[in-house]
Amino acid sequence: MATVEAAYGAGATAPAKPIKSKLSRDDYSMRGLIVVIIVYLAFALILPLALVLTKSVQTYHFTLDQVEVEFFRDGAWVERATLADWVERSDYEVNHGLRASERTREQPAQIIPRGARQDIEQFRLRDLSPEKGLILHAGDLSDSDAWIEVDRREFARVQIRPARSYGLGNFDHYFATPALRVSIVNSLTIALITTGIVIPLAFAYAYGLTRTLMPLRPVFKTIAMVPILVPSLLPAIGLVYLFGNQGILTPLLMGESIYGPIGIVMASAFFAFPHAVLILLVALSVTDARLYEAATALRASPLRTFLTVTLPGARYGLISAFFVVFTLVITDFGVPKVVGGQYNVLALDIYRQVIGQQNFQMGAVVSMILLVPAIVAFTVDRMVTRRQVALLSARAVPYQPKPHRQRDLTFLGICSVVGLFILGILLMCQLAAVFQFWPYDLSLSLRNFAFNQMDGGGWASYGNSIRMALYTAFIGTFLIFFGAYLVEKGNGFTKGRSIFQLFAMMPMAVPGMVLGLAYIFFFNDPANPFNFLYGTMAILVICTITHLYTVSHLTAATALKQMDPEFEAVAASLKQPFWRTFSRVSMPVCLPAMSEIWIYLFVNAMTTVSAVVFLYSPSTTLASVAVLNMDDAGDIAPAAAMGMMIFYTNAGVRILHHIFANRVLGRTQAWRMR
Amino acid sequence: MSEQPYLRVANVTKRFGSFTALRDVSLDVDRGEFVCFLGPSGCGKTTLLRAIAGLDIQSEGTIHQGGRDISALPASMRDFGIVFQSYALFPNLTINENVAYGLHGRGLKRQDIRERVRSLLDTVGLADQGDKYPAQLSGGQQQRVALSRALATEPGLLLLDEPLSALDAKVRQHLRLEIKALQRRLGVTTIMVTHDQEEALAMADRIVVMNVGVIEQVGTPHEVYSSPATAFVADFIGEMNFVPADIVARGEIRVGPDLCCECETDGAATPAAATMAIRLEDIVLTEAGTRDKNHFVGEIRDLEFLGSFVRAYVGGEAIGEVTLRADISANLMRRLNLDIGAKIPVALPANRLHVYPKD
Repeated sequence: MATVEAAYGAGATAPAKPIKSKLSRDDYSMRGLIVVIIVYLAFALILPLALVLTKSVQTYHFTLDQVEVEFFRDGAWVERATLADWVERSDYEVNHGLRASERTREQPAQIIPRGARQDIEQFRLRDLSPEKGLILHAGDLSDSDAWIEVDRREFARVQIRPARSYGLGNFDHYFATPALRVSIVNSLTIALITTGIVIPLAFAYAYGLTRTLMPLRPVFKTIAMVPILVPSLLPAIGLVYLFGNQGILTPLLMGESIYGPIGIVMASAFFAFPHAVLILLVALSVTDARLYEAATALRASPLRTFLTVTLPGARYGLISAFFVVFTLVITDFGVPKVVGGQYNVLALDIYRQVIGQQNFQMGAVVSMILLVPAIVAFTVDRMVTRRQVALLSARAVPYQPKPHRQRDLTFLGICSVVGLFILGILLMCQLAAVFQFWPYDLSLSLRNFAFNQMDGGGWASYGNSIRMALYTAFIGTFLIFFGAYLVEKGNGFTKGRSIFQLFAMMPMAVPGMVLGLAYIFFFNDPANPFNFLYGTMAILVICTITHLYTVSHLTAATALKQMDPEFEAVAASLKQPFWRTFSRVSMPVCLPAMSEIWIYLFVNAMTTVSAVVFLYSPSTTLASVAVLNMDDAGDIAPAAAMGMMIFYTNAGVRILHHIFANRVLGRTQAWRMR
Repeated sequence: MSEQPYLRVANVTKRFGSFTALRDVSLDVDRGEFVCFLGPSGCGKTTLLRAIAGLDIQSEGTIHQGGRDISALPASMRDFGIVFQSYALFPNLTINENVAYGLHGRGLKRQDIRERVRSLLDTVGLADQGDKYPAQLSGGQQQRVALSRALATEPGLLLLDEPLSALDAKVRQHLRLEIKALQRRLGVTTIMVTHDQEEALAMADRIVVMNVGVIEQVGTPHEVYSSPATAFVADFIGEMNFVPADIVARGEIRVGPDLCCECETDGAATPAAATMAIRLEDIVLTEAGTRDKNHFVGEIRDLEFLGSFVRAYVGGEAIGEVTLRADISANLMRRLNLDIGAKIPVALPANRLHVYPKD
């Protein structure tokens, strides 16, 4: 007791010291785990992206004045000259006058004219550059000033690598090249036109579903969600069948080609539509009925009511939908790949630069450019979404539409047209898949499903896709939910938690193509200890989880925020470790949210193309990539068939999920009943 | 050295950024005591409770519990049970599982846990509800479960954070008796946060009245009611007349133009402007009065019928502009037979007057 007394005395006289809280074992473990997930996201997102930035400012050029050559003649080394001297002497055009890239090589045997070295049996070269590594001979790079001796036969195989430097040269080149630059305008044009078409249609559709009593509303709601279940390549393929050179509806285009902006806009509208509808459904269902009663009481005309009540009420939803659709369209590469024709867009340029030309630096430059609109759209969307929360929490009386024949029939008409467009494209793909050879041989056949006889990995890629989607869904749901739990329910550690929050929001702003490219740079580097992941199933799963992280994290965080914040305080007072509360309370209570995350991850893992197209290996081909490759190889019907396989799978899993949600969740969530 | 206080809070300050929620708060709580933190919202009472629990650790100052320095310990390393206004019952666990939640990992046998849960639920009269889920119980029942859960681990300190605020008035009155009885029987040291003065007066052994981050007064319910230490306490607890006054001499004040009152002035400087305060029920309306100090002839300006008593608004030439409110029991009312406009002698008993510095 004496010590306590002493402590009191000291506390009273000495100047008060700030108390630093001791950490409990839970605090230590939770902080440790937060750091683990931060490190995970750093390796799976931040470092790869940083590499894209680095690559975009790497420029390559030949420094031939730093390579010396000598000939062995009459027992002595003679005619010392640099390759630059030889270029001058022989009027050689280095790299055909093109810009050098990382993979470009020059050959001394080309530079030094045959005539000048006809009788020489021995050559020697040396690298005088300070960084070395200019001369590539027999798989080895020059690493000193020493002469490298080669005989005549080997001399032809010696290669010169360009030197690397840093600067904005790539960007200069990009903007100075009209063929590249035009993609910016093209991408923006496509995105804006598509958004301009999708938003009004989605608004009318969502209005019909929420504000009218038109018949078949549940059916229309289901139809609107169909495009989510297929890769964006599929509507493009459907359009090719409908409006292509042999299409049944081609005359409707009045001579215009489906390959180009028209096709891109139509297919983009198809796959972006459900995302806009989902946002607008929420926006339109939170409006307060009392405002309409007030408007009626004030004798406002229907138009005035619409302009003064309905539109302002949904304005945040409209803005949010605008930016979401804009981002989806501008970052998509599947659609322009199939129906783009000669019309270049940014996302496709990345693919072409990387896969077609192996020009990683230029791919990185286009990535950086594509990041700009994506980040702007993401930022605006986040700001708007934050405001809409306030609107949701208001105590409003839900709006109940009253029967109105003319209005209901009008919206039935609008929704039917949109619904027919969606189902029409899907049906076209279905027909193309099951007929022998549309439109010439209309006998039923499973020929198009014989994937093993085509490019793209065959049925194995379908199996890979299912495995990838299952891994992604199970690992991702747990990882993301657990991460959200740590960040929402942990104590203190503000810095770590804000870094986590920031990292968790970033994937949404990063287009899939950019992420995929970033992964090549990061994981394909032999110096990276994680290099062993390259070409495995694991990297596909990691990439997909990271790509889909943000939306899942937000779903989990929202569910966790709705839980009483005192649960953790109570558990601490009862001296129960956090993982017990996590597994006994938080997870079971949030099971519905977790099952939503699961299905979101599964469906998107099945359909994703953009991020994984750079990362698959011969043993990990995916169904969605197979669609791309079969289409590329001209096997369009099998591509449609594989796309339909993805659709069947997603639809089936969706239905199973629905049953699970109703039955199993219904049983485990019995406590919700009063 | 006599007995140590069970809980000693010394010079505790809590800052949230630039805002100071608690300013140099010191307090002792004895073993087995029932203490209420009472004050308006934002006064720091919940902050102090959370500091004692280790949920939001203070910026400065020390806290000792049972002789142990717990100042910097996280909640999980302290010894307390807590009940929140929201109950914070785990919604997906049954009542039994909720109460048993803290009994895991203590080396208890399954059978022992079951018996302990049963006896706890028996104590709060919910023995037959053990298999239900929280949502199936009423608010009052849920609060009892929360209490059982907090008490299950036999903590040395029970913390109640506005435990009754979410309940209906009837249930609240009933439950506060029950909690008090349970606390007395178990003898557990208890701290309850409330903004309801009636609750605090009815339940507490001692009340800690707080305002803007400091303790205004600590005392038994009777002390804080009948001898409020500051004008804030006087105003916050019960109803009080506040009248501008002048201290004219030691032990004597003047109210209005012509009323002199004897009262305790506690060595305040003279002359000085002050505020005189008197409870509504302490004003005495008499049938026949003397014209002396502490008395004046009042005039009834208005009467308000409030059921068991009548509130009179009393003016008078002697007190000038001032109108005093006085509560008259229905009994006395019948005897006096008062009406608006009636003149009546009014007494302000010296030992019922409080004088506070003018603010």
